[in-house]
Amino acid sequence: MATRKKPQLPKSVLDMKFMKKTKERIEKEIENTQDHEGLYSGIITNEMRHASGNYISESSFIFCQDIIEGRVSFKGMNPEIERLMESENNKEQINGEMEKDVSDEVLYKKMNNFHRRKRPSSPSKYDVPKKKK
Amino acid sequence: MKASIGDVVLPGDYCEEITVAGEKAKVIIGPGLRRELDRVYVTKAGVLKKRNPCTYWVDSYQKRYVPSRGENVIGVVVQKAGDIFRVDVGGSITAALSYLSFEGATKKNRPEVQIGDIVYAKMLVASKDMEPELVCVDSHGKKGRLGVLSDGFLFKCSLNLVRKILNPSCPLLESLKNEWPFEMAAGMNGRIWIKANSMRETIALGNAILGAEYQSDEEIKVICSNIASILAGHIS
Repeated sequence: MATRKKPQLPKSVLDMKFMKKTKERIEKEIENTQDHEGLYSGIITNEMRHASGNYISESSFIFCQDIIEGRVSFKGMNPEIERLMESENNKEQINGEMEKDVSDEVLYKKMNNFHRRKRPSSPSKYDVPKKKK
Repeated sequence: MKASIGDVVLPGDYCEEITVAGEKAKVIIGPGLRRELDRVYVTKAGVLKKRNPCTYWVDSYQKRYVPSRGENVIGVVVQKAGDIFRVDVGGSITAALSYLSFEGATKKNRPEVQIGDIVYAKMLVASKDMEPELVCVDSHGKKGRLGVLSDGFLFKCSLNLVRKILNPSCPLLESLKNEWPFEMAAGMNGRIWIKANSMRETIALGNAILGAEYQSDEEIKVICSNIASILAGHIS
């Protein structure tokens, strides 16, 4: 397929004496692409042809089950590990609170008020052409 | 034989639910399952489990560790071989741990690791045909929770027990964490390292962990409170 798309040299040019090597190379390339199917028929199985990408094989349980970090320390046995555990806990809490910072209802009301106030006082540049009509 | 989710399955059984799910969406098939032609077969004896969305695996009882990528394991250094340490992780062969894969290690500044040391490391490479490779740093070069475990006590258990106690819903660590100071490292290869201030506390912790294997959540809570009260000296 790729060879067809490539700009090809005309036959008359290829027949010239100094183009002998190029001609041989091009013939070899065409041969290679044609033999592609036959060359790999032993390696490519039916299974490979019909395989769909929907199955992901995973050899470890850590991707299947919920599992916490295996290194833990409590009541000051290893302050280094406890600091790590605490910082991880804090991260989770912050992520949880971020969503609840401004509730949807409050935001809706505020934005409504904001739009109402904005429109009559300062028309935006998009409103200008309408007024001309 | 046909099997469905939650069944006790044997090698050779197949599950059509997974095949049906696989036609529509991506499916993760975990340990104990294998896709062969147009069916998904079970390769281990155990209980077929599912987690939404579309993750299936077989929960089997196993003591032999088979290395797999990304798992945190506990190993014992058995040999120093030039640039690497050979670490016994309980797999078919020892794993390789480069001396450069420690925090702050350079060619001149070698980490202090001796033969017989216990290391908590992450599986970086684990393939069928090659020696597994361990690291003691994360991708940022920080050691995090990995590294050499000094002092303490190491014991072996089944792979299931490690997964059980590391489950977020398991009450074992919750009921022990306020009782006495201790540190624990649990490797997915069925090895647990514990450290406490006294031998009594270490033994108590070890017994609590090993006793939890075949108990329900409620029973684990009872065992833990019993052990804690014995240790505190209320009951002799």
